[in-house]
Amino acid sequence: MAFVIHRLVLLVPTVLGVTIITFFMIHLIPGDPARTILGIHATPRAIAILHAQWGLNRPLVDQYWLYMDRLVHGNLGQSLYYGTGVAGLITSRLPVTLWLIIYAAILAVVISVPLAILAASRKDGIRDHAVRLIPLLGLGMPAFWLGLILQSELSVRYRLFPVTGYGTGFAGHLHSMFLPSLTVAIALCPVIIRSLRASMLDVLGAEFITTARAKGVPATRLYIRHVLRNAIIPAVTVLGINIGFLIGGTLIVEQVFGLPGVGSLLIQSIFARDFPVVQAVALVFGIMVVLVNLLTDVAYATLDPRVRFD
Amino acid sequence: MIHRTALAKVLITGSALGVLAGCGAGASSSSSSSATAGSPVQGGNLVFANPQDAQSMNETNVFDNNSIWILEQITQPLYTVTNNGKTVMPWLATGYTESANKLTYTFTLRSGVKFSTGQPITSADVKFSLEQTMAAAAGWGYIDAAIKSVGDPTPSTVVVNLKYPWAPLLADLSLFANGIVPNNFGGKTAAQFWQAPVGTGPFKWDYWHKGQALKLIRNPYYWQKGKPYLNSVTWTDVPSDNTRQLQIKGGQAQIDQFPSWSTVSSLKTTPGVNMTLFDSTETTYIAFNEQVKPFQDVHVRQAISLALNRSSIISAVLFGNGKPANSLFPPQVPYYDPNTPGLQYNLAAAKQQMAESSVPHGFTTTLLLPSGNSDYATIATIAQADLKPLGINVNIQTLDPNTANGNFQSLKYDMFVSLWTMDIPDPDELATFALNPTSGAKSFFTTYDNPTVVQDVKKAEIEQQPSVRQALYNTIQTDAADGAFMAFLYYSPYAYVTTSNVHGFLVTPLGNYHMEDVWLSS
Repeated sequence: MAFVIHRLVLLVPTVLGVTIITFFMIHLIPGDPARTILGIHATPRAIAILHAQWGLNRPLVDQYWLYMDRLVHGNLGQSLYYGTGVAGLITSRLPVTLWLIIYAAILAVVISVPLAILAASRKDGIRDHAVRLIPLLGLGMPAFWLGLILQSELSVRYRLFPVTGYGTGFAGHLHSMFLPSLTVAIALCPVIIRSLRASMLDVLGAEFITTARAKGVPATRLYIRHVLRNAIIPAVTVLGINIGFLIGGTLIVEQVFGLPGVGSLLIQSIFARDFPVVQAVALVFGIMVVLVNLLTDVAYATLDPRVRFD
Repeated sequence: MIHRTALAKVLITGSALGVLAGCGAGASSSSSSSATAGSPVQGGNLVFANPQDAQSMNETNVFDNNSIWILEQITQPLYTVTNNGKTVMPWLATGYTESANKLTYTFTLRSGVKFSTGQPITSADVKFSLEQTMAAAAGWGYIDAAIKSVGDPTPSTVVVNLKYPWAPLLADLSLFANGIVPNNFGGKTAAQFWQAPVGTGPFKWDYWHKGQALKLIRNPYYWQKGKPYLNSVTWTDVPSDNTRQLQIKGGQAQIDQFPSWSTVSSLKTTPGVNMTLFDSTETTYIAFNEQVKPFQDVHVRQAISLALNRSSIISAVLFGNGKPANSLFPPQVPYYDPNTPGLQYNLAAAKQQMAESSVPHGFTTTLLLPSGNSDYATIATIAQADLKPLGINVNIQTLDPNTANGNFQSLKYDMFVSLWTMDIPDPDELATFALNPTSGAKSFFTTYDNPTVVQDVKKAEIEQQPSVRQALYNTIQTDAADGAFMAFLYYSPYAYVTTSNVHGFLVTPLGNYHMEDVWLSS
């Protein structure tokens, strides 16, 4: 618990660092949000009016302090592009991205664990080679291409899933998010399978496993209660790191499947120079990455009681 | 108008074409939404798949096309553009009279028109609406610059007083930004109102989940009897061309806006869908910055314009679905001159112009593009090859769209690929924007300055006689082409895919459509 609290306290300097870097980076790169709104009608007068409305004609440092003042009061500001509150934009989109990441992680585990067991149980056998080779195809396939194939076959040809969308209600989300989550999961599986297989092979060579076999422990129980339990820790670390990369990395899948996630919001906002949204999304992503790392460490400690955090 | 392309569009489009090539099969003729499908049927919910989300519902200051075309289903102006885009027809007004000095127009409002709240419209609503737009200094205020004041002497009469005679008045009033909203926003603040605007249009506000979907539902008080036929229309944000097509094929959407040009041919023979190319006012150009040498030299500009093989560009970019541009004006604009030859591909003439120029041996220059636009990238590649025989070495510079457009508008470029679409059925807006260096746009950001042309533009905008206006605009188009301040590349249509059960869908050359005419058969 002390460890968890300590890590949560570390969130504060992390958040501060993210706000400083993001704020100054997005303001210092070329580009003007007024030009996004006005397009070809961006006359100097119109640009000046919008800058004054948005406070962009103030010194950068003053803008930063204003931003931080709003932030500590829980106000993420107004989107320059949409003219609505940033908090509302993020809260409407964050669940979509969270669904995608969590569902993809669950699918990755559901697919990877049995396959890794299958491979490790017959080292260098045909099924071991097959399990190591076939998922590599998933690693090599571009996510957008795989997504389009799945849509084309499972949505259009066989009408099993909707082509796009997030769905409504829990069952609706489960149904609509299956294909996009599977697309992401297929890219995660090869790394998890290989990592888990390697650590399972290490555990299978241990003396306590030999003892268990000699005592007549059934194979299923042997693998689930003894081998997997000891072998899964490195795979948890791999999964945690990949989930960290997924945060903000789901843009392509969101675009292919028409998902209104935070990834596409971030990219759209960067192009539009929608400063408040970029700053807020970067902040949210920073917090999420820290929390994911924390959860990974907690899972580590839960699975292995020998692990201590000082 | 703003055209924004998503970064992922380039990443997704090219490689995935092979997936879809196998999905289209069979033969069926392509036609516009069928006129022979029987009588309109009431009911149905239509999904309209768009490549990008709307940006704002504030009609006074939004410039984004998707926002505009959706807003036009909610609010309506006094006049509207006809289906061929050439003129206007009465809409919320039934007619007008004008004073002898052409400075006062008195409009009669159509009776029986109500807002979606059930309140009848009055002249006070019209006065309020026009004044809101007139005051939009960072928005569409400039389109109403000729209006001095608006009066509401009786509930059904509106008087528009002009500062000077103004030929484009009715066209300006037909702009969506002059749509009629309730007086004083019906008691709301402006900010509250524009989050869910109220109007007299066929549909009224339901919701907008930004980045996902915007839905409008049937206005029960709509003034056109029996319309709209649909219960609702939902515009979804689906940036991927391929995904929108799959939605059409999978029955998840009924209209796909702007499919990729490479799929037009196959879609024309795909069963169950209609692929329609509507005439549009979209024109693509290459602009020259006359503040940068040697583009101040008309021979150089003419040489470049003559050296560009428009047929190759149309074939490569539009897959043949376009026409070479001969004029600054597109064919669907009133007063377009089809007899203006423009500067069409002629390599011998191009070389002749270069020989007469200040740089007969050629020069090195940069063609600036916004990133993520594969059409512009193709244009640039072809232009680079086409200009080599003239000794012009073109470096292609790609910047992110915001920076590229900023550089264009700040005159930090040599050459830039751009386009224009008309907002009103009158050439004045384009003529002023593109040819008047003292307008806010500095002659389409080229700084082209031809006093004769500027004078003709000003004469044409106050000239009331159509034949005289036509003669003026003919001269303007010829002079603008000869001045070669931009290389006019091509005119392209608006491409839409609809499922075969969609009827009555028609897009005017300005890009707007009337969803009250659309119906779904079973």
